[in-house]
Amino acid sequence: MTENELFARYRETGDVAVRNLIVEKYLYIAAIIAKKFVGRGVEYDDLYQVASLALIKGVDRFDERKGLKFSTFITPTITGEIKNYFRDRSRLIHLPRKVSELRTRIEQASEELTHELGRKPSAAEIADRLSVTEEEVLMSAEAGGVVSLDRPSGEEDLSFYEVIPDDSDVFERLETHEELSAALKELSDAERTVVDYRFRQELSQADTARKLGVSQMYVSRMERRILQKLRERLKKSMAE
Amino acid sequence: MKDVFELNFPLLNEMMTTVRLAVGGVCAMKGMDLDASEDCKVCVTESLLLLKHRGYLNAHVRFYEDGGLRVRISGEGEGKAENTSEDEISLALLNALLSNLETEEEDGKLSAFTFACGEQA
Repeated sequence: MTENELFARYRETGDVAVRNLIVEKYLYIAAIIAKKFVGRGVEYDDLYQVASLALIKGVDRFDERKGLKFSTFITPTITGEIKNYFRDRSRLIHLPRKVSELRTRIEQASEELTHELGRKPSAAEIADRLSVTEEEVLMSAEAGGVVSLDRPSGEEDLSFYEVIPDDSDVFERLETHEELSAALKELSDAERTVVDYRFRQELSQADTARKLGVSQMYVSRMERRILQKLRERLKKSMAE
Repeated sequence: MKDVFELNFPLLNEMMTTVRLAVGGVCAMKGMDLDASEDCKVCVTESLLLLKHRGYLNAHVRFYEDGGLRVRISGEGEGKAENTSEDEISLALLNALLSNLETEEEDGKLSAFTFACGEQA
């Protein structure tokens, strides 16, 4: 079947199997473009993931009757999604330069003093060594640390996750959570393991593959299948 | 940067890293942010690959000032052209990253690319 015939068939039938066929056929474009953006602080696996999702969305939007080749149409779509991904990441909170520089100096001084004193230095000793106040040392140490969302927030028995405000409606989120839990129960044990590695432990596809003793491609395919299943299940339950 | 910065080199894959480093240096000198600099590197390397696939043996890259940083990349010498399906993606990628891509042809084949990097891209 030619490119146009495939797209025409998908447009007419909406058959997911046809769409999957198209996506598999053009997945190489996602791989090529993802590779071009490696080296900007994001792992290839993640870029490939973003590119693949853009490809799936692009397949839905492509109209072969307009006379454009799919590769010409999809390249800017994928590139745009990757650029948006970088833009969103750069909106994360960054430490002021002064604080991050002080953190580096604190780490160095701490190492030196540990060596000299034969024990870990106190904040006062580090402050003294760097000619800064003890408060500055303590604040810098606190500022850059990664904090678990499960850590107690200090408000009653609630974790940070529970007290950080969320834009989305809490009831809507609860409902989605329930639907998702139900949908996850319908997956096989192997599929649930992949979900656990990829989305709870946030391992890359390559690390997940290593843990399972399979290829990264296998994980990638399985992940696509799982997401498809979950999407369909959620769509169905929303329609009910 | 008032002056022109130029590179002449054989179009070999092993040259690409050096070229990327040089492009990064020029972008840094112009005070571009990392993202714009990375985009410029991608555009220069994609242009070079397109020229290489068209059989050019050497490349000439010229950075100059014209309301911002501009780059002209041209191919020189006659060699064997390669047929690759990736060229279409490279061209589409250049068009996606740049709003001002100008191409030149020689005897019906692409021979030079000119574009602005940074905010003007």
